[in-house]
Amino acid sequence: MTNVKDKNIERPLSPHLQIYHPSFSMIMSIFHRITGVVLYLGIFFLLLWYFSIFFGAETFNLVSAILSTQLSKITLFFFVWIFFHHMYGGIRHFVWDFGLCFDIRSVDILAFLTLVLSLSSAILTFIYL
Amino acid sequence: MAEITLPKNSKIKKGKRYSLLNELHTYADFFKDSQNIYPIAEFYVYRWDPENDNNPRHDIYPINLDECGPMILDALIKIKNEIDSTLTFRRSCREGICGSCAMNIDGVNTLACTKPIAEIKNGVVKINPLPHQPVIKDLVPDLSNFYQQHKNIKPWLRTKTNSPEKEWNQTKEDREKIDGLYECIMCACCSTACPSYWWNSDKYLGPAALLQSYRWIVDSRDEEKKERLDDLDDAFKVHSCRSIMNCSKACPKGLSPAKAIAEIKKELATRK
Repeated sequence: MTNVKDKNIERPLSPHLQIYHPSFSMIMSIFHRITGVVLYLGIFFLLLWYFSIFFGAETFNLVSAILSTQLSKITLFFFVWIFFHHMYGGIRHFVWDFGLCFDIRSVDILAFLTLVLSLSSAILTFIYL
Repeated sequence: MAEITLPKNSKIKKGKRYSLLNELHTYADFFKDSQNIYPIAEFYVYRWDPENDNNPRHDIYPINLDECGPMILDALIKIKNEIDSTLTFRRSCREGICGSCAMNIDGVNTLACTKPIAEIKNGVVKINPLPHQPVIKDLVPDLSNFYQQHKNIKPWLRTKTNSPEKEWNQTKEDREKIDGLYECIMCACCSTACPSYWWNSDKYLGPAALLQSYRWIVDSRDEEKKERLDDLDDAFKVHSCRSIMNCSKACPKGLSPAKAIAEIKKELATRK
C-alpha cells in the first residue's frame, strides 16, 4: 500500500482551466484584466502623438498621417471600446465594493450590461466625433 | 505566477472504454433488436493510480440509465459495484450535507449526490476531481492545504468576557445575520473553482475559508472581531479575490462566498 502522506510520490495536479466550464462572468473578469493592460500600453501611442509636437511640424504631420490611416482608425476604435469596457467594468466592481448585486442573476445582468454599454458607447463615439 | 498548462505528469491520456457486456454480448446485439433501446449515458471518469507511474486518464463507462439511480453519485456507485471496483471516490451522506462527494461534473464543481443525471447533455458526462489539487487517487484530491486554511481563520467562538451561566444569548436580528453563512459544509467546491485560488493558494485563503471567517466576524457573540480582521489584513489573504464569481456559481448550497468576501473587504476598508 502507498501512504497518502508519502512525499516521494509525484502526485499529478488535477485539471483546472482545461476542464472548467467558462462562465460569462469568468470571461468578463479576465477581459477586464486584459483591457487594463492594453489601456496601459496603448496610452504610450497616444503620448507619441503629443510628444511629436516637440520635434517640429514635420514629425507631427508624419505621426498624424500614420494615425489617420484606415488601419489606425480601426485600432483606435478597438482602443476606445476597450477604454469604455474597462470603465464600465470598473463601475461594476464599484457596485460590488458596496456589497450589492451579488446574486447570480444580477452578476450576469451586470456583465451583459458592461458588454452592451461599452460597445454602444464606442460606436456612438465614432459616429459623433 | 499563473501556470496555465498542466505539468507533464498530469496531462490526461485516453483511457479504457468499458462496454455494457454484463447485459449484452456486443453492441451489434444491442442495435439488432430495437426493443432493447434504453437510455445510455457515457461517463468519462478521471483515473489515476499511485501504484504505477502512468499519467492520469479518462476511462469511459456506459451506463444503462433505466437501471441506475437518479444522481451522478448513483452512477459512480453503480460503476464501482458492477463494472470496475478499483474506482475510488469519497462519499458518505448521499443527501448534500457532508460535502464528501464534491467533484467537477461537466466543468462545474458540485456535489455528485445532488446533481441529477437528467441535467447532463448529449448523454456524455465528464467527471474530474476538484480542480488544481494534488490527486491522491482517481477522484480523491488532497485537501490538506484547504483544511489548514480553515484552521488558520480560527473557526470557533472567541470571547474575552467570562462565560455566562447558561448559553451565549443572541437576539433574533443578530441570529439572522449569519443566515447564508452558517450553512456552509466545507465541501471545497467554491475554493477549487476560483482561478485566484488556483494561482495563489499559498497566500490567498480562498472563498470557503473567508466565508467561514465572515461567519464569525458578523456573529454578535464573538468578541475578537478586531483580531480577526487584523489577521486578514494583508495584500493577499482577502484581496486576491477579483470577483470572478465562480465560487457563488459553484456553491451546491446556494451560498454566496463572493458576497461574504466583499463584506470583509468593506469591514477592512471602513474600520478605524
